[in-house]
Amino acid sequence: MIFSTLNGVLYGMLLFLLASGLTLIFSMMGVLNFAHASFYMLGAYFGFQISQWLGFWVALVAAPVLVGLIGAAVERWGLRTVHKWGHVPELLFTFGLAFVVEELVQMVWGKLPVDYRVPALLDFSAFELFGTTYPAFRMFMLLISVAIFLVLLLVLTRSRIGLIIQAALTHPNMVAMLGHNVPKVFMMVFGFGCGLAAIAGVIAGPALVTQPSMAHVLGPILFVVVVFGGLGSLPGAFIASLLIGLIQTFAIAINYSLGDALGAIGIGRPISGALSDMWQVTVAQIGPVVPYLMLVLILIFRPTGLMGTRET
Amino acid sequence: MSALALEDVHKTFGVTPIIRGVSLEVGKGERHAIIGPNGAGKSTLFHLISGRFPVSQGRVTLNDEDITGLKPYQINRRGLSRSFQVTNIFPKLTVFENVRCAVLWHLGYRYSFWHNIRKLNDANERAMAILQQIGLADRSQLPAGVLTYAEQRALEIGITIAGGAGVVMLDEPTAGMSRSETAHFVNLIRKVTEGRTLIMVEHDMGVVFDLADRISVLVYGQIIASDTPARIRSNTAVQEAYLGQALEAEH
Amino acid sequence: MSSTILAAARPNPVLDLLRRYGVWIAAAGLMILLPKVFSSGAALTTMCLMGIMIVFSLSYNMLLGQTGMLSFGHAVYYGLGGFLAVHAMNTIAGGKLPIPLPVLPLVGGFMGLLFGFIFGAVSTRRAGTAFAMISLGLGELIASLSLILRGFFGGEEGITANRTKMLTLWGVRFGPQIEVYYLIAAWCLVCIAAMFAFTRTPLGRLCNAVRENPERAEFIGYSTQMVRFIAFCVAGFFAGIAGGLAAINFELMNAVNISGGQSGVVLLMAYIGGIGHFAGPILGAILVVLLQVFLSDITGAWMLYFGLIFIGMVMFAPGGLAGLIMLHLPLWRRGTILQVLPHYAAMAVPVLMGAAGLTLLIETAHHQLVKTQTDGPAMHFFRLGFDSNTPLPWLAAALLLGGGLWLGRLYAPRLKAAYGDAAHGVEAAR
Repeated sequence: MIFSTLNGVLYGMLLFLLASGLTLIFSMMGVLNFAHASFYMLGAYFGFQISQWLGFWVALVAAPVLVGLIGAAVERWGLRTVHKWGHVPELLFTFGLAFVVEELVQMVWGKLPVDYRVPALLDFSAFELFGTTYPAFRMFMLLISVAIFLVLLLVLTRSRIGLIIQAALTHPNMVAMLGHNVPKVFMMVFGFGCGLAAIAGVIAGPALVTQPSMAHVLGPILFVVVVFGGLGSLPGAFIASLLIGLIQTFAIAINYSLGDALGAIGIGRPISGALSDMWQVTVAQIGPVVPYLMLVLILIFRPTGLMGTRET
Repeated sequence: MSALALEDVHKTFGVTPIIRGVSLEVGKGERHAIIGPNGAGKSTLFHLISGRFPVSQGRVTLNDEDITGLKPYQINRRGLSRSFQVTNIFPKLTVFENVRCAVLWHLGYRYSFWHNIRKLNDANERAMAILQQIGLADRSQLPAGVLTYAEQRALEIGITIAGGAGVVMLDEPTAGMSRSETAHFVNLIRKVTEGRTLIMVEHDMGVVFDLADRISVLVYGQIIASDTPARIRSNTAVQEAYLGQALEAEH
Repeated sequence: MSSTILAAARPNPVLDLLRRYGVWIAAAGLMILLPKVFSSGAALTTMCLMGIMIVFSLSYNMLLGQTGMLSFGHAVYYGLGGFLAVHAMNTIAGGKLPIPLPVLPLVGGFMGLLFGFIFGAVSTRRAGTAFAMISLGLGELIASLSLILRGFFGGEEGITANRTKMLTLWGVRFGPQIEVYYLIAAWCLVCIAAMFAFTRTPLGRLCNAVRENPERAEFIGYSTQMVRFIAFCVAGFFAGIAGGLAAINFELMNAVNISGGQSGVVLLMAYIGGIGHFAGPILGAILVVLLQVFLSDITGAWMLYFGLIFIGMVMFAPGGLAGLIMLHLPLWRRGTILQVLPHYAAMAVPVLMGAAGLTLLIETAHHQLVKTQTDGPAMHFFRLGFDSNTPLPWLAAALLLGGGLWLGRLYAPRLKAAYGDAAHGVEAAR
């Protein structure tokens, strides 16, 4: 239970690293970046490659910077061209980008998962509870993501840049009115968001599996988080990240099916047909479905999301 | 029997009251103008009547039928049609298509996907007749977005009247037009609203006093006077609140 | 449109008939003749796939191009239609029911319609980005359910059927691919005609109005939600027919057919072809299937090219292929198209240089990274043999790519001016 909670919080914090960047990009630029999870994947792969050459600690810094620069370049030479065609082409551009990144990654690192290992320094168990150990690297991941969260919070609430960003979240036109160089701000925001995603990739890579499908597995979940929390709302994204992290982790841990539940109250299982499948489905299997159900429901009943102020 | 009646209509945005108790009655076939200073709530009042915004309090009736809280399309189907202050057309559709779309519901074709639109002679003829009325017949095959400003304003009116609504609301139909265009437009409005009830918001006092049978003066969310043009002109309260400056600006 | 008014005055009925139905007669003729020209098994399979994808992408464009609804989950209706058709095939074969194969796509169509109705009622209440997100959520929901509900979806392997076990009419058992081809071609033509007819109905036109300006549509008496909903149901119906055709063609449906990937492919097809024109998605479906078949034969990195072509289209030709063609129609009509041709020829040099450089780069990299361990460093590029371990191919690729980009940028303004002259000269001559 404690482990599940810890893992859930950890997964949630990782989601938030991605979701915060996505929220920033959406609020300021109006672009729902389909390729955001691809930058997370690039982060993981760059992290893997750089750790092989120069070690994990260099990778932890260098990979996000590199990915951030790539993100900025994509904004500068890609998105900016598409911007004049409108929002749908922008969305489609990032959609195509996600596609290309996945193919490139497959080409360079192959289709199979790469052997991205936990650095030796952190390869021990942090503590033991009820006979099960909890790896130190996971604690480290948690630490990093909480630290970044706190830094973000401080920057957003205490600094001048943070105030500008906050203003831009609710009043996107303000940034331009205040006389800031909008294209440059866009480029920086996009690059920064991609860098944040890459950090998540670098630290998640060794713990989860680093493989070419990791982007499109996470991508839709990320959208659920951002939309569920309310587009443009960082606190909303934070709550939604934790919520979905916990739900998914707990769902996997519980092995209980509808059949069990109905059996307990005395309803037998139908012999055949599609319904018998329903009976066998366990909560663990339903786990991946829940976020999408949440997304659909919230969009129908509360279009602004949990904490959002803007309609989607 | 009144074509349109408002009973103590209120509208607040958040805590800010914009419309503070408007009661108004417009008779059948009447040409009614609503005037008032900027920010008085004229456009908001239009949005409330046409269903774009929900009414906070009060009642709106169209031909003695309660239309409060109905959706814009429901109100439109009951015979109230409106134009917009900022041109609101279908820019990539042809001029002809703009008008034809606006006649379809009222000819009973609704959501039909079993009629060939080319063979709907009544719809095509009516759309063409309206284009002739508003003087855009020779433009019919152009995309509406490439028309000149004045032509788009004419099309806006064409779309508004196409459905044959008994009550027509025009929101600043002559805004941004030159003198000669305005004169032409006044004739156009008079022609196309023949036999209908007209309610319009207008800043150009020449147009207002030329067209209107009755005038209501809206100041700060309330109607301070509603009367014939001659009496409005001599009403001192109106003079003070608005008309003095407005007429001054005209000359 | 203009032809309606003109046609009324035209006295020659034969000419008029030909004008109106000429395209359809030509299309039918082409579909009949194609297998005579390309009779190989591979060609037939490709053309069958094209027919299916044409129906699918046209149904998608009813949403995106005509009503302005961006859907990320259109494969749901295609896939469900296909799965039900496969199950229907098995049931009919098992129970010896007197239902012939050619009507089976209708089963898929009704499944698509049913789910279009259910999910449409939920998702078309919202428009714009919210609609797109709901469609994404529903798409992923069904895709993940397809892996859980093994009874209906058959898990990873999918569900198979045998199309020849159905009632035979006039001795046609649909065993050979050529018979399936004609079945698909016939359905394809019927569906194209039906979807085209849809654009010429009051609702079809209102779909365009809702895409252009939903607010104004509400003020001319139409509930935009209802317009979106009906369009969504109809699009689901045709997607289901495409799914039914796919079930007949492959005799197999699996989770891939209903996945987000499939939804992405149909979006790519419609967009590359051009969503602004009715025929755009047809072009897109043909091109994408061709790319799939031929590029995957030539190169292992074909998906990458595919993605790059898509991005290139989004960036530089948002109107798609059909948009590019429409751009030149006025020049063709006025006879000024010859003016711009030399400029296009000149522009082709840097474009080809850049493309050659990029492909050389990708191919060399692909060879170096993927195939060197198994095949050794020697590789071929357009029959040119070289060693991918030496710097020469890399250098050549970089030079070609860089040179192409540089020359292209240099020449682009002149090309633009030439096009402008040709187009605006037209306006002036009027």
